[in-house]
Amino acid sequence: RRIATDDVDIEDRLESLITRVGEKSTSSLESNLEGLASVLETDIPNYKHQIMKILCQCVVKLPEKLTVYTTLVGLLNAKNYNCGGEFVEMLMRNLKEALKAGEFENARMMVRFLADLVNCHVLVATSLLQMFDSFVEVTLEDNIPQVRSDIYIYLVLSALPWVGRELFEKKEMELNNMLITIDNYLSKRQKIHLPALRVWTTDGPHLQEEYLDCLWAQIKNLRSNKWMEKQIVRPYLAFDSVLCDALQHTLPQIIPPSHNKSVLYPLPRVVFRLFDYTDVPQGSVLPGSHAIERYLIEEQLDRIIHTNHVERKDCAMALLGYPAKNKIPLNYMIVEVMFGQLFSLPRAPYLDLFYGSTFIELCKLQPTTMPEVLAQASEMLFDRIDSMHSICVERFVQWFAYHLSNFQYKWSWDDWEECVNMDANAPKSKFVREVLLQCLRFSYHQRVVESVPESFAPLLPAEPKAHYRYEQEGAGSLTGTMHAHKLISSIRSKCTPEEAAISMKELPNVYPNGQENENPSFNPLKIDVFFSTLLHLGSKSISHSFAALAKFHPNLKSLAEFDDGKVCLLKVLYEVWKTNQQMMVVLVDKLLRTEVVDCSSVANWLFSFEMQHDFTSFYVWEIMHSTIKKMSRHVDQLQQEVDNAHDKQEAAKRKEQDGLDVLDDDVPTDEAIERMEERLESATSAQKNLFLVIFQRFIIVLTEHLARCESAGVDYNTPWYKWVIERLQQVFLMHHELVFRYINTLEQLLFTSDVDIHILEVFQQFCALRS
Amino acid sequence: NRSEQEKCLLESTTLYVGNLSFYTSEGQIHELFSRAGDVKRIIMGLDKVQKTPCGFCFVEYYLRADAESAMRYINGTRLDDRIIRTDWDAGFKEGRQYGRG
Repeated sequence: RRIATDDVDIEDRLESLITRVGEKSTSSLESNLEGLASVLETDIPNYKHQIMKILCQCVVKLPEKLTVYTTLVGLLNAKNYNCGGEFVEMLMRNLKEALKAGEFENARMMVRFLADLVNCHVLVATSLLQMFDSFVEVTLEDNIPQVRSDIYIYLVLSALPWVGRELFEKKEMELNNMLITIDNYLSKRQKIHLPALRVWTTDGPHLQEEYLDCLWAQIKNLRSNKWMEKQIVRPYLAFDSVLCDALQHTLPQIIPPSHNKSVLYPLPRVVFRLFDYTDVPQGSVLPGSHAIERYLIEEQLDRIIHTNHVERKDCAMALLGYPAKNKIPLNYMIVEVMFGQLFSLPRAPYLDLFYGSTFIELCKLQPTTMPEVLAQASEMLFDRIDSMHSICVERFVQWFAYHLSNFQYKWSWDDWEECVNMDANAPKSKFVREVLLQCLRFSYHQRVVESVPESFAPLLPAEPKAHYRYEQEGAGSLTGTMHAHKLISSIRSKCTPEEAAISMKELPNVYPNGQENENPSFNPLKIDVFFSTLLHLGSKSISHSFAALAKFHPNLKSLAEFDDGKVCLLKVLYEVWKTNQQMMVVLVDKLLRTEVVDCSSVANWLFSFEMQHDFTSFYVWEIMHSTIKKMSRHVDQLQQEVDNAHDKQEAAKRKEQDGLDVLDDDVPTDEAIERMEERLESATSAQKNLFLVIFQRFIIVLTEHLARCESAGVDYNTPWYKWVIERLQQVFLMHHELVFRYINTLEQLLFTSDVDIHILEVFQQFCALRS
Repeated sequence: NRSEQEKCLLESTTLYVGNLSFYTSEGQIHELFSRAGDVKRIIMGLDKVQKTPCGFCFVEYYLRADAESAMRYINGTRLDDRIIRTDWDAGFKEGRQYGRG
C-alpha cells in the first residue's frame, strides 16, 4: 500500500515538473529544459509509460508551449533512442484515434507537434511529408463533403509555419509538389456558405476571407519569405549540437479513416478583421492580414482564451502577459480576437457574458490604454454597422449596453447624433435604440434619460408600465369593465380559482371591442378580462406576476385550451406589457414552462398581424430563440430519459444472465419505456412542427415583401428586409445542429424551387455549411 | 452538519448575492443574471421590520452549469453602480429572506 501511494506521489511530481516547464522562472528556459531532460532520463526506466502519457497530454492541452515540449522530446530522444521511438508511436496512436473520433482540433495539435519533431531531429523529414501527402490525398476522394477535405488540408497548412523552412531546405521539390496539389484544391473549392458566415456584407475596408483562403495566402507569403517567420520561439536551436547527433525515426504509415456519415467535421469559418496598421498608434506594427505572424499571434490569443475561459481574471492577465508583446500592438490584437470570437457565426465559442466581463478585467488591468482601444473599436463597429450582420449587431448591442452598465453609462453620445433623424429601421438608429432599451433593463428609466443628450429624446424607450384597459379613461363603456372590477376585488379578497372562473361565466364570446367571435374554441373577452386583470394585479414585480400566474394556473389553462386561445392570451400579454419588454420575455418563458402556451403558439403570435409593428425589435427574437431553445432542451431531456431507461434495463438483463439478484423497482418495465418513447416521439414531432411553422411564416412574410416591391417597381433591399432575412439566417445558424436533422423535410415541404431565389439562397447557403 | 452542507453547496443552483443597492429592483437583477442562463426565481432580501429590500437576494437557476457561469462572470462586476458579490448558497428556505432590521 505504501508503494502504491509513493507511485502516485511520483507521478504527480512528474506531471507537475513536466507541465510547468517553460513557465516564468529565474533561470533560462534552456537550462530548465536540460535539467528536466536529465531528471526524466533517470526516471524513464521505472516510469516510462507515465512520462510518455504526460507528454502526450501536453501536446493537446498546452499547445502554446509546443516547441518547449518538442525540444524536450528531442533531448530525451538524443539520450535514449528507444524512448523517442515509443513516444512517437504513442502520439501516432493518439492521432489515429483523434481522427477517427472526429476530434480534429486535438489532431491538429498532434500533427503540428509531429512536424516540429522534424526540427528536433526526432523524425525524418520524408516520413512527415508522406503523412502530409496522405492527408492531401483526401481531396481526391469521391463523394465526400468538402468540409472533410478542408480539415485535412488545414491539418497540413497549420503545421507548415513550424516545419516549412526545414522541408524547404531538405525536400524542396516534394514540398513544392504538395503545395501545387493544395493550390489546385483550394482554387476549385465551393464557397456557397460564405455569405452565411460573414460578419460584414461588404469587403471594405477589410476583405472577408474564408479561413483556408486566408491561411493559404499567409502560407504563400511565408514561402516567398523563404519560410522565415518572426513569431515562433524555437528553443531547440540552442541544442543544435546535441540534437543533430541524434538518430531519427520514421513515422508509421497513416491512412485517414474513411468518411462516414456520423463524423461531424468542423464548420468553415470566416476570418474577422477590424483593424489594420493605420488604426494603430505609431511605435508598434500590426502585422498585415496576410502576414503569417498575424495568424500565429491570433491563434495563440485564441488558445489563451480557450485555456482560461472559466477564469476571467486569469484570462485577462494571460492575454496581457502574451510573451512577444513588445513587438506588436497587443491591446488591438486582443480586442480584435475577442470581438472575432464574440461575433463568430454560427455561434460564439463561449458565453457572451464571458467576453463582456473579461473586457472589464482588461480595462481594470490597463486603465490607461485598454478603454481607449475598446472605445475606438466601438466607434469603428458603429461606423460600419450598415454592413454588419444582424446577428452580430444584436451581440454588439448586448455587449455594449452591458459594458456601459459597468462604466456609469458614460459614452460620447454626441458623436452619434446623426441617428436621431434616421429611419427607425436604419441600422445605426436601431443600434442606439436597442442599446438604450438594454440599458433600461440594467437600470431604470430616469437613469437612461439622464445618460444621453436631450436631443436623443426620439430614440428613448417609453417608460415601462403595465397598460390595463379596464382602469383607463373611457373604460366605463367597455363590455368587460364591470367583470374586471369585480374580479379585482374577488382576487384581493383571496378568492379561489374556481370562484374566479365562475365570476367570468356570463361574459359573451366577443372581442374586447365588442366585435363578435365566431370561433367557439376560445373566448377573447374572457381571456382579456381575466388575464389582463391578473397581470395588472401582479404588475409590481416579476415575483408578484409569477405568484398570480401560479395561483390561477388552472384558469389560464382552460381559457387557452386550444391554439387560437393561446395566441389570444399572448396578444393580451402584449397589450398589457408592450412598454416593458423584459416582462414580456420573462412571462412568455413562464407561460411556456407551465404549459399554458406551447412553442408553436408563441411562434404564431410573434408572426401575427398584431406583432408586425415590433417585428424587427430585438426582444421579439429574444423570445423566438429562447422558445426554440426550450423546445430542444425538452426533447434532449426526454431522449436522455429513454437512453437511461434502456441502459438500466440492459444492465439488469446482464446481471440476470450472470445469476445475480436484480432489484425490481430500479428497472424500468417495457411498458414504462414504451411510454417514454411515445413522449419523446411526440416532443420530436412538436419540435419539427415548430421549425416548419417558423420557416413557413418567414417564407410568407418575405415573399409578400418581395412581391409588393416588384409590383411597385422599388428596390426590395430595404432596412426592414435586411433585418428579416438575416433573422431567418439566424434561426438556421443558432440552432444549426437541430435544423440539420430536419433538412430533408424542409427541402421537400418548404424550400422548394418555386420559392423566391433570395429566400432559397439562405437555405442553400446553410446546407453548404456541411457539404 | 458540515459535510451535508458542503454537499448541498456542490450541487446547489442558488446563489447568494450581496452588496446590492437598496433601490435595485428584481428586474435589474434578473436582467444581469439571466445573461448567465435561465433564472428560475429571485428572492429579494427584506428588512425584517419594514419589509423593504435591504441589499441582498437569492438567485436560483434551473441548471447548475448556469449558476456556475454566474459565479464566474458576474461576481465582482457592477450592477446599479455597485460591485456585487456572489456566493454559493445551499438553497433558499422560507424566512431566510429577512435580513437584520
